[in-house]
Amino acid sequence: MSTFRDTLKTQGPGPASDRSIHAVPALPLLRLESLRKTYRDPMTLKPFMAVRDVTLELERGEIFGLLGPNGAGKTTTIKMLLGLVRPSGGRVLIDGREPSDPDSRRKLGYLPENPCFYDHLTPLEYLDLSGALFGIARQVRQRRANDLLERLGLASHARKPLRKFSKGMTQRVGLAQALINEPTLLILDEPMSGLDPIGRAEVKALLREQRARGVTVLMSSHVLAETESICNRVGILKDGALAEVGAVSALLASGVREWEIAVDRLPDAVVATLLEAGHATERIGARTLVRVADGEALQRMLRTLVDSGVFIHSVEARRETLEEHFVRVLGRPERGEAVS
Amino acid sequence: MTGAFAIAQNTIREVVRQRMVLVLALFGVALVAASQVLSPIALGEGRKVVTDFGLAGSSLLATLLAVMLGSNLLHKELERRTIYAVMAKPIRRSEFLLGKFMGLWVTSAALVAGMTAMVLALLSIVYRDTPWLLLGSLTLTVVELGVITAVVVFFSSFTTPALTAFFAMATIVAGHFADDLLYFATQGASPWITRTTEAVYWLLPHLELFNVRGQVVHGIAVAPERLAFGAAYGLLYMIALLVAAGAIFERREFR
Amino acid sequence: MTLLRGRGGLFAALVASGIFLAGAGMLQRSYRTQQGGRPADELLYYPSGIWVRQAALGYETVAADIAWLRAIQYYGEHRLNDQRYDMIGHVMGIVTELDPRFTEAYVFGAFVLAQELRQPQRGLELLERGMRANPESWRLAFETGFLHYVGTKNYQAAARYFTRASRLPGHPEYVERFAAFTNQRAGNRGMAILLWKRIEASGNKYMQDVARRELKRLEATEGI
Repeated sequence: MSTFRDTLKTQGPGPASDRSIHAVPALPLLRLESLRKTYRDPMTLKPFMAVRDVTLELERGEIFGLLGPNGAGKTTTIKMLLGLVRPSGGRVLIDGREPSDPDSRRKLGYLPENPCFYDHLTPLEYLDLSGALFGIARQVRQRRANDLLERLGLASHARKPLRKFSKGMTQRVGLAQALINEPTLLILDEPMSGLDPIGRAEVKALLREQRARGVTVLMSSHVLAETESICNRVGILKDGALAEVGAVSALLASGVREWEIAVDRLPDAVVATLLEAGHATERIGARTLVRVADGEALQRMLRTLVDSGVFIHSVEARRETLEEHFVRVLGRPERGEAVS
Repeated sequence: MTGAFAIAQNTIREVVRQRMVLVLALFGVALVAASQVLSPIALGEGRKVVTDFGLAGSSLLATLLAVMLGSNLLHKELERRTIYAVMAKPIRRSEFLLGKFMGLWVTSAALVAGMTAMVLALLSIVYRDTPWLLLGSLTLTVVELGVITAVVVFFSSFTTPALTAFFAMATIVAGHFADDLLYFATQGASPWITRTTEAVYWLLPHLELFNVRGQVVHGIAVAPERLAFGAAYGLLYMIALLVAAGAIFERREFR
Repeated sequence: MTLLRGRGGLFAALVASGIFLAGAGMLQRSYRTQQGGRPADELLYYPSGIWVRQAALGYETVAADIAWLRAIQYYGEHRLNDQRYDMIGHVMGIVTELDPRFTEAYVFGAFVLAQELRQPQRGLELLERGMRANPESWRLAFETGFLHYVGTKNYQAAARYFTRASRLPGHPEYVERFAAFTNQRAGNRGMAILLWKRIEASGNKYMQDVARRELKRLEATEGI
């Protein structure tokens, strides 16, 4: 099957199994061990487990997508990483440090979901404040602020108060303040939200740039199509637990739906035979698409068609999109097992 | 600590850009001007009237600023979630709180100092007399404002803006009555009442300690011991409240 | 600050907080004992003055000024109408309770009580209170002497108070002259004229009017 898998490869570094080739003995940058969070309803005192037993390690230089429906626990997990919320159990290690240590955030950049920044400040002032909080020297942080605003297309708005900014512009300021300290770990909560397709493409380009510099990125998202195209690995959170973790390609390889053989000029008789045998066909213009469910049947079908003298245009594995996989995984009645 | 200073600077910016500060400052100017206008009908006591109105007015306005703006300071950050991006930086919760405190204190102190400078200028011009000893009163008033700001920050670390303002005002009023409380404690019927009253007395800020307006207006300079004790008491009290507030805030979860 | 985390940390923080508070309290207690506690005469004001002072919440002198301004207005209005100033003693009482160092209030109040209401005794009581609160004030002693001379005609008492004033710091030179004269020749009309002339020269405008009235009266009795 490896030849088909080749056609499925996503951009960027290879799937998880290539890890052994680049064996790096360094500490994982981010490590979650059996992380748990239980909230108690202040009225009824009923406990609610927002995050259950999440164990995860991020490798340096990867972009990891944390996926899940609303209420799955993505934001809660992220808040626990940042020390905004205290775990009920388990622990988090950022470069070996716990979130209770403010130094764990020294090389960390964070973009909150639907960010809101100090309205009364201009982006330059806000970035100056952010830089100051990292202890970056004035000259350096001013230079970086200007560079970042330039890079994110906000240079002309540098001195307007933030209260006048649109959602997309605020999002970009958010990225700027997340990058002001040249972080090694970026945590982005819904970084694409509020952006138009061009904006999203820019963000993706930015993230690829960061990855090329060796920055590790953890991003949570709803926009699966985007996630698919830049994440090395994804984790799917369902009801607070990690249903699956793995490289996109690996996850989806296991979910090859069917193969599509596009052929020319299929005689009707053959179509009838195929239909009888239980294979689906579809006519699109001059072509016919024959759908075959499994590998075995594919081999037989190809031989049959070739022997029949039918011209085969292409053979494509129609794998699941990440979206279909997502829906399928979340529809499962029981908790899935982590892959990898 | 640099984090605290950065937050303090931002707090000053934020407070100063609010309309209320402008209103209070204008009010202050108007007050000093009005008191000068009143002086002809004061039967020769014009200088006393200007000084009294200036000192009391500045103290009152600065207190109002501290309570009204301070009570909402933290809540606004939590409500609008602006605090998330800030706390994701390498800054401790207590540093953040300290920064807010410092920013608010500096602003209210600036208001009081500005008005006092105005009074001194007015007295110099109209009465050709610059009572520098007013600065002694200013010093203690600034310390008093620090204590009041610490009270506001303390309550705001765990309760809503409305309740913060209420508790802060109540503490301030009770703080002025503190000495009388002690007197009543000695009149107490049972030792239990006496002990409780005394306990409350020691918990309250003794704001009368900072009130030297009555003497400076009559040309009596503030004794250095009073200044030293006042400053020391105020600082210790502020530290006590800020330590407690910091510990409380450290435990807050940002849902 | 990492010490402050965890349940033990909260307890530790509260203890630390308590220690600072205790420190502040002890400091203040030592300061008060150093200052000898509250001055004795303040306790005398307690039964009547308590609510007025406390209601002012730290702004007593401003409250005193406001009361003073209203007292002036009260006097001015009644001067034009019925010349009845019944409330003046009460108002000046409040002014001086709020601001015990407000010398002019004692003086003007006593003056009106003696000259306008013809109740020099009440005037003297007001001045007595003033002298208790301001024992170093030459002015209050002097004005008491003055009232004794022109009001109650108690020349011996006048002499006593003028002498007291002449021994207090900051007194102007004429105080000693008046002390000397009254000690030598008590009951002298010339002395009274001199005293009124002083008011005519340096009192507030209302007192000046009264002084002129008195001087006219005294000049009219010349030769009798």
